[in-house]
Amino acid sequence: MKSYRNLLKIGILVPGLILGFGCTKLDQQLGNTLSPSQAATTISAALLLQGAYNDLAGSFQGQDQVFSLEENSTDESLVPTRAGDWDDNGVWRVVHNHTWTADHSQVLNVFNSLNKINFDATNVLSFSPTAEQAAEARFLRAMALYYLLDLYGQFPIRNPGDNLLNPPTVQTGAAASSFIISELNAVIPVLSASNGTTHATPDAAKVLLMHALLQRGAWATPASPTFADADMLQVISLGQSIMSSGKYSYNKDYFANFNVTNSTSPELILAYPNTSGAAVAGGIPNSSPQGRWMMTLHYNSYGHPGQGIYTNAGWNGFSTISDFYNSFNPNQATAPFVYGPADTLADTRMGGRFRADNTPYSGLRPGLLVGQQYDEKGAVRYDRKGNLLAFQPDISPDMKETGSNLEITGIRGVKYVPDFSKADGTYYNTNSGNWLVLMRYPDVVLMVAEAKMRSTSATDNAGALALVNGLRAARGAAPFTSMTLAPASNIVDDKAAPNTLIGERGRELWWESYRRTDLIRFGLFNTIWQYKPSDAPKYLVFPIPTQALASNPNLKQNTGY
Amino acid sequence: MGFQTGIKSSLRKASGFLSKNALKTFMIIGLGLSSVSAFAQTKQITGKVTDAKDGSAIFGATVTASGGATKQATQTSADGTFTLNAPVSSTKLTITYVGYDKQELTIGSKTNFSVSLVSNAQDLNAVVVTGYGGAKKKDLTGAVTSLTPRDFNQGTISTPSGLLQGKVAGLEVTASNGQPGAANLVQLRGNSSVFTGSDPLYVIDGIPLDGRSVRVGFSTPFGGSTGSDPLIYVNTNDIGQVDIQKDASSTAIYGSRGSNGVIQYTFKKATPGTTRVDANATFGITAGLMKKYDILSHDQFVSALGKYGVSGQNYGGNYDATKQIQAHGVSQSYNLAFSGGSDLGNFRASFLGSKQNGLLLKDYLEKYVGTLRGNYKFLDQKLTVDFSLIVANVNQSLAPIANNPGSQGNIISAALSWNPTRRFDSAGAYIIPANGSGNPIAFSDATSDIANSTNIVGSIAASYKILKNLEYKFVYGANHSVYGENYNVAGWLGGFNGISGQGYGAILNSVLNSQDITHTLDYKTNFGKINLEVLAGFDYYRTQLNANIVTGTGFNFNLNQANRVPILYTSVIQNANSQTPAQAFVEPVTEIQSEFARVNLSYASKYYLTGTIRADGSNKFGSNNNTGVFPSGAFKWVLKQEDFLKDSKFISNLELRASYGTTGNSSFSAGSAQSQFSYPSFNAANQSVVGNPDLKWEKTKQTDIGLNFSLLEGKIYGTFDYYHKNTSQTLTQEPVIQPGPSGVFYTNLNDNLINSGIELGIGVSIISKPNISWDINGNVAYNHNIIKNYINPLTGLPIQFITGTVDGQGVSGSLAQEITNNLPLDEWYLKHFSGFDAKGNQIVSANPSVAGDPNPHTIAGLGTTFRYKQLTAQLNFGAQFNYLIYNNTATNITNLAGISNGRNVDLNAYNSAESANDGVQVSDRFLESGNYVKLRNASLSYSVGNVGQYIKGLKVFVNGNNLFVITKYSGFDPEVNTNKSANSVPSRSLEYLPYPTPRTFSLGLGFSL
Repeated sequence: MKSYRNLLKIGILVPGLILGFGCTKLDQQLGNTLSPSQAATTISAALLLQGAYNDLAGSFQGQDQVFSLEENSTDESLVPTRAGDWDDNGVWRVVHNHTWTADHSQVLNVFNSLNKINFDATNVLSFSPTAEQAAEARFLRAMALYYLLDLYGQFPIRNPGDNLLNPPTVQTGAAASSFIISELNAVIPVLSASNGTTHATPDAAKVLLMHALLQRGAWATPASPTFADADMLQVISLGQSIMSSGKYSYNKDYFANFNVTNSTSPELILAYPNTSGAAVAGGIPNSSPQGRWMMTLHYNSYGHPGQGIYTNAGWNGFSTISDFYNSFNPNQATAPFVYGPADTLADTRMGGRFRADNTPYSGLRPGLLVGQQYDEKGAVRYDRKGNLLAFQPDISPDMKETGSNLEITGIRGVKYVPDFSKADGTYYNTNSGNWLVLMRYPDVVLMVAEAKMRSTSATDNAGALALVNGLRAARGAAPFTSMTLAPASNIVDDKAAPNTLIGERGRELWWESYRRTDLIRFGLFNTIWQYKPSDAPKYLVFPIPTQALASNPNLKQNTGY
Repeated sequence: MGFQTGIKSSLRKASGFLSKNALKTFMIIGLGLSSVSAFAQTKQITGKVTDAKDGSAIFGATVTASGGATKQATQTSADGTFTLNAPVSSTKLTITYVGYDKQELTIGSKTNFSVSLVSNAQDLNAVVVTGYGGAKKKDLTGAVTSLTPRDFNQGTISTPSGLLQGKVAGLEVTASNGQPGAANLVQLRGNSSVFTGSDPLYVIDGIPLDGRSVRVGFSTPFGGSTGSDPLIYVNTNDIGQVDIQKDASSTAIYGSRGSNGVIQYTFKKATPGTTRVDANATFGITAGLMKKYDILSHDQFVSALGKYGVSGQNYGGNYDATKQIQAHGVSQSYNLAFSGGSDLGNFRASFLGSKQNGLLLKDYLEKYVGTLRGNYKFLDQKLTVDFSLIVANVNQSLAPIANNPGSQGNIISAALSWNPTRRFDSAGAYIIPANGSGNPIAFSDATSDIANSTNIVGSIAASYKILKNLEYKFVYGANHSVYGENYNVAGWLGGFNGISGQGYGAILNSVLNSQDITHTLDYKTNFGKINLEVLAGFDYYRTQLNANIVTGTGFNFNLNQANRVPILYTSVIQNANSQTPAQAFVEPVTEIQSEFARVNLSYASKYYLTGTIRADGSNKFGSNNNTGVFPSGAFKWVLKQEDFLKDSKFISNLELRASYGTTGNSSFSAGSAQSQFSYPSFNAANQSVVGNPDLKWEKTKQTDIGLNFSLLEGKIYGTFDYYHKNTSQTLTQEPVIQPGPSGVFYTNLNDNLINSGIELGIGVSIISKPNISWDINGNVAYNHNIIKNYINPLTGLPIQFITGTVDGQGVSGSLAQEITNNLPLDEWYLKHFSGFDAKGNQIVSANPSVAGDPNPHTIAGLGTTFRYKQLTAQLNFGAQFNYLIYNNTATNITNLAGISNGRNVDLNAYNSAESANDGVQVSDRFLESGNYVKLRNASLSYSVGNVGQYIKGLKVFVNGNNLFVITKYSGFDPEVNTNKSANSVPSRSLEYLPYPTPRTFSLGLGFSL
């Protein structure tokens, strides 16, 4: 009996103890983050909007992001495997020869980074934005959706405040392009024209809208693009409103659009700002623009091995093909790489000229590099195997370099000019100050010229030719006497007499992430070019990444994948 | 005066070389004792108790005289001697000591006894620590392995987990690399969690720990830092007992933290009796690599230059970089422990000062640890107060090793690829070759990575006997750890983008705080043959880890090797031209509030039943799942007690166990259930986490069927277990459904992660005689792991996570493992290599396929102790079988392409048909069998005995660790696990530039005062 009594005592004591000592309320207080309710009272739409702007670096800076899918998949760029370098599980080669699959890492990473902009911009709309803030957010979202639709043929979209555990709806086809176009039309009157080049302006929205209108028919039927006359007329009127604003003009120095002082270029419409030597400036993280030259330059392209400090100038990867190089018609003059500072005979967009902000420090003459490279004193440079550092135009047919010349094959493209703005003339190999160019004036002019040629009711080939020749004159290139949209059967402009609009877009906008979209619109993307056989129409859009497909039942895999 | 002669002779026996003066002192003590005993009807019995194994004195053994009018008992003093005034009618002398066989002697007319006790690994009365209590081994129903110091690995071992390596069936301890104090992979019965921690719960003296190291990993310009063991601060000399709880019945009392098993560390306590001092000192050296990495020797390199037609790379010298990066400093360790007191109040205090030099230059681990334990009884022994306190300072200098550097930025990569014909410096200046290898000596010289942590773990417990059978206990425990790390790379170091000419400094600080409060009531009673124990309690636990980091580059000094000052950048971080904004991380506080109960019922020592239940409320769980309930039950049948076995001479004990229960794992990141917004930088904000209000613990149902046996009077003993663990509602990080914040969110799936296997532990006492003994004990465990129903609930498609990052030049973004339905965790997923084409290029399939299992299936350990008189030799072997390692080092660092640039290369590649211009490719070519047998440690000790007047139980010893390994693996050590997780999906069995495993030797001595 006694035992039972004791048991009874336990029965009373235990709950007593628990009541006495227990029952802390189990609500988790967050540490350095805010709950949605805290965010609602503390975080302003302005901060979220800047967060979305900062996302642009993620999608548009890296050489393995949008840049790779838009450029390496074309005749402008490729990355051959160089023995121990740049195989990276074959990701670069399959982009160039159009054999990618839904498991490709870049296909996934681009999808996710664009959707981050999509999401962060949408979130602004939940935080009582001003009309201007809402318009900027909708612009950023439209920009992300434009690239998603262009690359993947569809995009997922959420309403502000949606439960993120539920799969979002997906827009595709005409509805998708109409949505982007209507969003841009809606924000153009609201956006402030005084936003500068680092934020959305009416002009930036107009440029994106022009792209969307030009591409609408290519999105609908990528294998045989169509061009609605109304769209073309709108492209022309949008473009002319920008051209007649007087805000923009051609920069005499083409590469000053991409050097460390490019923020002042009169061609700039939209850019991501960077500050030399600063990991973060004004809350905006540096986007690491140095990657754009390091991806292509050789290890020994500059640096001072003799002085104990040996800097890796580059990673020795990205190259262009000789057919693309030849579309600049280098034979108009003597070999371009020996040009002097006063040379005016050829297309300046090939570079190869002396630049005061580079050549005295490194010997480098930015642009398309072919042939022997020199140091700052004019002495020849060597590769790591002891060969002369003389870039060779030809690449191994399978894009796997295995010869003793494997470090020097491929013409290199230094479009962003290395940042030697340090006081002692050395170089910012991290946190360089070049702004990332997202939209540039010549693209507007070329789009207007294209729309003039494509319009059925207001065809104006002469006007288009005049616009293109205006640009060519600014670049030191001989004028065309006539111009067609694209070469008849081949992607390559006639070396002796290049005179196509697609060729001109390539020469002006090379390595600016437009080429794939352009080639599709001009019906050339499935044709043959160097190191790439002809391919199936399914490659006109990228596959939906396997991971995304597995998490959202509303996404449907693109035909053929 | 017979007893005096007796003392004299026993003293002489015990210590042949006592000085005359010392002898005199002892005689005076003896006389003093004799005068006290000159009363009543007693006779004085004296003697000495020693360990049969090595003749050392046993301190604190209980000597009881019985059979007479009253029982009389005493305990042996530090030198093992005892004096007992027993009633003259006493007939029997019983000597007992924990861990040794009881001895009974007939007193007769003898008054002096020399007793040697035989240690008994199968002492069924030994107390095993269980959650919130303890039980005698014979009363245990669960699968528990209990180890005491004589079972531990010997020699230079810096972490508690290292002591257990290979000692427990089903417990895998794999060091991530060979650095002193490096993190260990510790897994009981396989990996039962995809994403959350798979480490067991660590409990020190009843206080459950957080389990994370206060050392927070951070990214240097050369990659993520390697981790430290969470118990690095423990003085391994203090550990008196380790209890490893494996099945659901023994871990269910820890509820949502129990599903990976529990390891209970119990520190040494004072033995009530005379005050004593134990001292030991050890000196050690690292004697080089346990195993060399298979790269070209100098001569092979020179002929390789010819074979591949490489010119201009023979510099004419002969230099072995892997030797040059080694340091061979003397490691020292001094440990002093004081203990004393009575049954009513006793204490033990110990102090450790040690410095263990790592194999590599500028790498060491210094530990200063003070440990205090006490036990005091008040109020007629109704109130007991226990306290324990560890205060430790751990200071580390870390060699530049990172988990995921590129082609450069790791001292091992620089050493392996160093051109062996080339000098390291010229005219006092380091040579920085332009071939991408880096200079390992310069790299070591230019980097400084100093880490310091202060760790305090303390607890106080009060228990009060409310009734004879009812005890209330309160325990408060706390752990406060503070960590600071200063990382510097001097700007004069050439060849590194972002560092050369600029310099780099980082200051990292972190704090870990956890607290635990428990109240328990324990009721014990018996009705006839029925024994009943009921335990009920409440537990409140909270923990938080915070960290912050400041980094800077661009300094004005130490930019020129010839002109250096001994000042670190981290001392003048304000000088940095480019200071990255300080980063702070403040974790949400985790709180767990629990109620639990356990009932133990037994009948006639034959049938045992245990039932346990715990309810956990955790603020980590989502708001829709506040509380989890974890029940378990176990049954044991002692067949030996049945009539049909009772008289068996062959079977000394036979017990059948079965248990079943549910435990949980909730070690996901705090805050994951809530949506969160962050400030990534000034003027910017975004949503960073997708919350999931349904988030809950992982649930593991485990069945265990086991057998304990002992044959031939305990000469052969062992345990056998079969288990089946089914983990469901696994916590999975699903990619955020785009559009959303970057990354993943946590969710529970309706899947089944199955670990099943068998474990056998066996011990054989081959010889057991006073002068000679030989024991062998071994264990072997087989585990198989597979994940089933791993399906996305929204789309019905199998979930696939690709992980196992392969790092280095030319393989960016390559991954080697997958976690997907119907495969073992981290299954290799690689392109298939099928030889070389005519040009010497690798032929590799276009797409990856399933390529084997990285999880060791069979883990075995074997230990043997041989003693002849005072000389004892011990060997401990370890082995693992049936798993594959990916050699990322061979893929990227020592690949054949390096020879063209004058880098040293892999021997296997050199011997193959590969061309030197072949590309680098990730494929199953670099998958190697990890099978190995290793002599982990060997020790030889000699018990000198007492020396002089004061020194007692002097023992000298030599140890060797990592003496040899038998393996086909080409890397430094097949026991390797570089952390190569991708997007926080854990990886397994990749090797990439690990800190090599050193062979170490040590010698030392220990004695008592």
